[in-house]
Amino acid sequence: MIVTLHLVALAFYGLATAFVLAPFMGGRAAPRVLTIALPCAGAAFHVVAISQLTPVGLGPALSMLAFCLVLLQLASERLLRGSAVSFFAAPLATGLVGLALLSGLAPGAEAAARNVWFVLHVALSALGLALMALAFIAAALYLLQFRELKARRFGQVFQLFPPLERLDRLNRFALVLGFPALTLGVVLALGYGAQFSGGLHAAKAQLVWGIFTWVVLGWAVWVRVVRHWAGRRAALASIAGFGAVLLVYVALKLTQPGAERFL
Amino acid sequence: MGIKVVGVNHRTAPLDVRERFAHGAHEVPGALARVMAAGASGGVLLSTCNRTEFYLVADDEPALEAVWSLLGERLSASPAGGAREYGYIARDRDAVRHLYRVSSGLDSMILGESQIQGQVREAWEASRAQAGPVLHRLFQTALHVGSRVRTETGLGMGTASAASAGVAVAGKIFGDLAGRSALILGAGDMAELAATCLSDQGVQITLVANRTQERARAIAERLGGKAVSLEEAWPHFATTDIALCSTAAPHAVVTWERVGAVLGARRGRPLCILDLAVPRDVDPAIAQIENVFLYDVDDLQTVAAQATARRRDEIPAAERIVEEETDVFWAWYGGLGVVPTIKDLRQRMDDLRAVELERALRQLGHLSPDDRACVEQFSQALLNKFLHQPTVALKAAAEEGRGYGLLEALRRLFGMEPPA
Repeated sequence: MIVTLHLVALAFYGLATAFVLAPFMGGRAAPRVLTIALPCAGAAFHVVAISQLTPVGLGPALSMLAFCLVLLQLASERLLRGSAVSFFAAPLATGLVGLALLSGLAPGAEAAARNVWFVLHVALSALGLALMALAFIAAALYLLQFRELKARRFGQVFQLFPPLERLDRLNRFALVLGFPALTLGVVLALGYGAQFSGGLHAAKAQLVWGIFTWVVLGWAVWVRVVRHWAGRRAALASIAGFGAVLLVYVALKLTQPGAERFL
Repeated sequence: MGIKVVGVNHRTAPLDVRERFAHGAHEVPGALARVMAAGASGGVLLSTCNRTEFYLVADDEPALEAVWSLLGERLSASPAGGAREYGYIARDRDAVRHLYRVSSGLDSMILGESQIQGQVREAWEASRAQAGPVLHRLFQTALHVGSRVRTETGLGMGTASAASAGVAVAGKIFGDLAGRSALILGAGDMAELAATCLSDQGVQITLVANRTQERARAIAERLGGKAVSLEEAWPHFATTDIALCSTAAPHAVVTWERVGAVLGARRGRPLCILDLAVPRDVDPAIAQIENVFLYDVDDLQTVAAQATARRRDEIPAAERIVEEETDVFWAWYGGLGVVPTIKDLRQRMDDLRAVELERALRQLGHLSPDDRACVEQFSQALLNKFLHQPTVALKAAAEEGRGYGLLEALRRLFGMEPPA
């Protein structure tokens, strides 16, 4: 059932992706109602699937991350009055659901999974990462639009992407919310480990790389909030932050093959 | 003599060449005088940011050569063929059609834009002393054609001017423009139009800077800003969000030396500079500063051109009006040749009559002087009778604006040369 629900969600997300990317492949822009309705329908099936899922392991984590991303995508669409975030978020969410299915999804009722601390840890971590992904998407859109505006090119990017100022605001919003969510998720994991698992069960590499990620993301937030960076510099900083997350993921995969506790 | 148009436009010459060919109002009489000295009997110079065109009543050479030479002198590095490498010539009916298409916005970079109508009027007025009757009529009717196209078709619908494109571009940088600040350099019509477009979007026009203060003051008062001199405007580049430049200066006024240091103090805040002037007001090097977004007329017209897509459906209807009006003008123009053609025809017929009369009278040597006078009178009366109806019909056709076709037929039938 969980897999079926994920497959249905995947189909809706895939369809939404095809519609939002159509203008870049020479097709006509889909009606806005479709680019909103399809992810909404997918999210409806997805939430039912997640409610039956044990939030342990890579597959469920990716599924939750994808779900958070879709919700943020829909919220951003409203904020930006356009479908620009979907250009990145829709394929990313589709890919994440696909990866979740490939990683394996199974129902379960482990005691750990039903613990509020643990559920909160996973939910906040997924939300934090999704917000970081959104910040990355806004930053990437910003840099693309910035490049087009500087180069005086007035093609699809100029037409379809939102104004720089709005993208900058979205980037700031996502970073400022995402970092505390992610931090709280990590703190909850530490608390859960100390309270229910008799200490933290993490490899040294995970700790080192995790702290490195946290520092880079923290720096991206610090330069925005404290140093008042904005525009292109801030966009590059948040891309560096999200890049650090990806780097750590790859590094852990290489140094600890088979590790399931990346998040 | 015929109607000619010779010039360059946005399709045939890039902006930096058009900048060199652009003539200020004060340069028009001198340029026309030079072309007319080369044999043109009438001339109007239409010079906008998108085109520099000489409308002439002239023979092909050497008036056209004078135009190419005049334009060629403005090129710093002249190509092998000189200015004509960038230009075109249209003659007679094609020249009339060309002007009608120009005035109705069919030939504009921004399809259907209305500003050209005013520019055609200004060109006509600036060249009034040298235009001559044919070009007077041509420009008068061109304005009529422009009005007809705009009222009878949808060619002018929507906003697709460079000014509105400037607003769209600024919107892509700042999002909501309400509450943003703008300073205006220049106080011409274009500056006023663009400033009004910005003001309509809620942009606060803080300064209007111009060489002469009176005009700047009028615009500043209307839009709620303050009139200053150009020198007083440079420090404000540190704080403004949008700078709109549209002066009539023959060279860049916003230079690195004047605003480079000031722009450094913006601390990364974006500045949108809309340079609507030709020649350009802003040194292109300014765009190298990271958060400065500089757009010139060509850029804005590219943006505006995208908004014209839906106007394209109206092209056939507009072209029909242009063709209809070209027929009317050409008929009128043909009618101008009626009087000399009739005189020419009568002279030819009279010469023939005289030759044939002389031959006949040689054979009728026995006739008395009275009889000879009677025969001569008869030949004259017969000629008059033969020519009466064609003369009346030609004059009537000319009055109705249909003379050209009949004249063409007459010239072909009687092997007559067209009138000079």
